[in-house]
Amino acid sequence: MPRKGQTLRFNLLAMFIAIIILQTSIPLIGYIPIGPLSITIISATVVIATILMGTLDGAIVGGAWGVLTFIRAFVWPTSPLATIVFVNPVVSVVPRILIGVVAGVTYQALRKRFKRQSVSISIAAVLGSLTNTVLVLGLIYVFYRANAPQLYQVNIKELLPYLLSVVGTNGIPEAIFCGVVAPLITLPLQRMLKGRL
Amino acid sequence: MSNFIFGRYLPGHSWIHRMSPQSKLLLSFYFVIVIFFANNGYSYGLLSALIVFVILMSGVSIAYFLKGIRPLIWLIVFTVLLQVLFSSGGHVLWHFGPFSITDQSLINGGFIFIRFLLIIMISTVLTLTTTPLAIADGVQTVLKPLKKVKFPVDTLALMLSIALRFVPTLMDEMETILNAQRARGVDFGSGSLKHRVKAAVPLLVPLFTGAINHAENLSTAMEARGFSDSEHRTKYRLYKWQFRDTISWIVFLLVGGLVLVFRKY
Repeated sequence: MPRKGQTLRFNLLAMFIAIIILQTSIPLIGYIPIGPLSITIISATVVIATILMGTLDGAIVGGAWGVLTFIRAFVWPTSPLATIVFVNPVVSVVPRILIGVVAGVTYQALRKRFKRQSVSISIAAVLGSLTNTVLVLGLIYVFYRANAPQLYQVNIKELLPYLLSVVGTNGIPEAIFCGVVAPLITLPLQRMLKGRL
Repeated sequence: MSNFIFGRYLPGHSWIHRMSPQSKLLLSFYFVIVIFFANNGYSYGLLSALIVFVILMSGVSIAYFLKGIRPLIWLIVFTVLLQVLFSSGGHVLWHFGPFSITDQSLINGGFIFIRFLLIIMISTVLTLTTTPLAIADGVQTVLKPLKKVKFPVDTLALMLSIALRFVPTLMDEMETILNAQRARGVDFGSGSLKHRVKAAVPLLVPLFTGAINHAENLSTAMEARGFSDSEHRTKYRLYKWQFRDTISWIVFLLVGGLVLVFRKY
């Protein structure tokens, strides 16, 4: 027999992956376009999964997002950026896994320190989202500084400052969004799942 | 709505429909890798001919493929333009500030355009002729060697098929929630960041709550039926390697070999 809650945990993971598939394919709930920027909500989903189910599961959900990004970069790219950058699995998958890891570790460390849950969730969410931005930026810089052979052979060197500024300007509102929304959504869900995982 | 996996499957009995999902999946990967090696007119021509042949074999009308490409066309054009304007080398035909067009870059731009089309086409063939559940099954078979290093392949595959099963359900619920909020006068299309955040929360909370309810009901149902772990399950449908898979592999491998030969010219 499985341990109590094991099947529920399994199904919750499946549901979170389903939500992420949904968010990557429907613009309204996956991305919020603000002017020329489009900030993603999906990192908030990963943080919520992390806090509800633990660091490992958060990393799995983040990894699922990464793999989806990777596959989509080939077959159904969302932006010119994706066709250039996310066809590299290291850039698309690793930062997304680490969202879960960073958010989970931060939350565990802060949980006892702050009386109010929402504060620690918010800090974990901001850090998780920033991890994604910083790592994607950093890895783009590492991989594309030299003219490596590319799938689409675009001359990256001259585009690099442009790429970095786009991702960077997305990162700040993304982190703010994550920090505000994650506790608002997580707290009621936590009450719902209390004692059952 | 850009459904890249769902609602795309078209039932049929063509050669491609009846191939096993694992070999379709692997052949698609293999094809993308071969595209990577193509570097001149001959090899691109050969690959294009192969993809046209595959589309004809799938028995799906070409209109479906064109419909799949339409929303992506601007993106493809934009990427090709980047390539044409920013690459260097060859005879310069026109230049203005940082932009320049050379004969070399025009040819490369054309090749990139074909590359995009080929990759999108092969993936469209895969999703048009294979159900999402069969794809999940194919993933399970393809990843089977990882079992040797204790990677929970079967658990992953079951999780993937549950996730794929619930995507349309959650999508319907999402639609309902959106309409409910619209009926209350929420405007999702405009406003500042603060406004957008305020609009997003009442969408996401019911979506997550609904998903958690599904997970709970499904767990109860699974445990009531004696679900213990996913590593020792048997299957209702078995997808076996067939003669037609072998034939298809031979064709694809031959084309791959020819592309390697054409590289030298």
